[in-house]
Amino acid sequence: MEVYKVLEIKKSVYENNDREAELLRQELKKEQTFLLNLMSSPGSGKTTTLLRTIEALKDEMRIAILEADIDSDVDAHTVAKTGTKVIQLHTGGMCHLDAGMTRQGLDGIGSEDADLVVLENVGNLVCPAEFDTGASKNAMILSVPEGDDKPLKYPLMFSIVDVLLINKIDVLEHFDFDLDVLRAQVNKINPNLIVIPISAKTGEGIGEWADWLRGAVKNWNQPEPVVESPA
Amino acid sequence: MHELGIVYEVIKIVDEFALANNLTKVDKIILEIGQLSQTIPHFVEACYPAAVSDTPYQETKLEIIVLPARGECQACHEIFNVVDHRKICPNCQAEDFSLISGREFNIKEVVAY
Repeated sequence: MEVYKVLEIKKSVYENNDREAELLRQELKKEQTFLLNLMSSPGSGKTTTLLRTIEALKDEMRIAILEADIDSDVDAHTVAKTGTKVIQLHTGGMCHLDAGMTRQGLDGIGSEDADLVVLENVGNLVCPAEFDTGASKNAMILSVPEGDDKPLKYPLMFSIVDVLLINKIDVLEHFDFDLDVLRAQVNKINPNLIVIPISAKTGEGIGEWADWLRGAVKNWNQPEPVVESPA
Repeated sequence: MHELGIVYEVIKIVDEFALANNLTKVDKIILEIGQLSQTIPHFVEACYPAAVSDTPYQETKLEIIVLPARGECQACHEIFNVVDHRKICPNCQAEDFSLISGREFNIKEVVAY
């Protein structure tokens, strides 16, 4: 009879990915590439916001985009029209990107020649929150039609992001979306979170968002990191 | 689908562990899942057979231990289950607590030879 033994592993399932992500983050820091992980639900206006962002910053920094989708390359086509370098990552049915997949994308696009790389993560508020991609900063878009109760439903996502864009504020009056209620809820979960209301459609707030990104990129490239704790 | 990706990760870690420890057969994998983890044990069990099919772990059993979501009340320091008590301290009714456990998703151990 074979003798079984119990072997203790006691290891978080996320540990491998966390290590890989930290390594990637250090490499990006060295090559002076800022990686923004952009997350949201489907239909919140990620791609439109991205187009506005490219428009605002393309003359001052070299931008590259990683588009992650379960399938299709619709978003990559849209972004490619702006003349920005873009690569499509297919997650093959998987609902999130991990650090390994992000690394492949960065290698594919030649991230060392970019100042700012935006990773458009899979549209989903659950899984991307659990897997560190190695990004310098994490951003999330919440759009007005989705409702101001989302922080209650997806607390993990709201707790790991550094900046929250509230998109589609041009239609605020048509929805029961209270910016103050949202700010109060978000503040409970993540007191350091920066909230920027925007309208990717009209361009409102894009200036403030571009300023935030400019500052974050500049900070990232400081030789002596000033107690920056990447999420 | 969310759980499937995570189960793949579990198999990857167990596989690395088996290689490093010269295990020839893994009989059982034991996971610890916190009550507040965004992973539902039932769904992990449901997609596990798909994740291990056609791998050396096809016959490997899966056991899940659910870890309670415990919080400590900031006001009276009572320790209570935050899910059962809907985030309200049963002792003093305060709503501020710090989470002690409940977000884990660990591979606790494997039974193997």
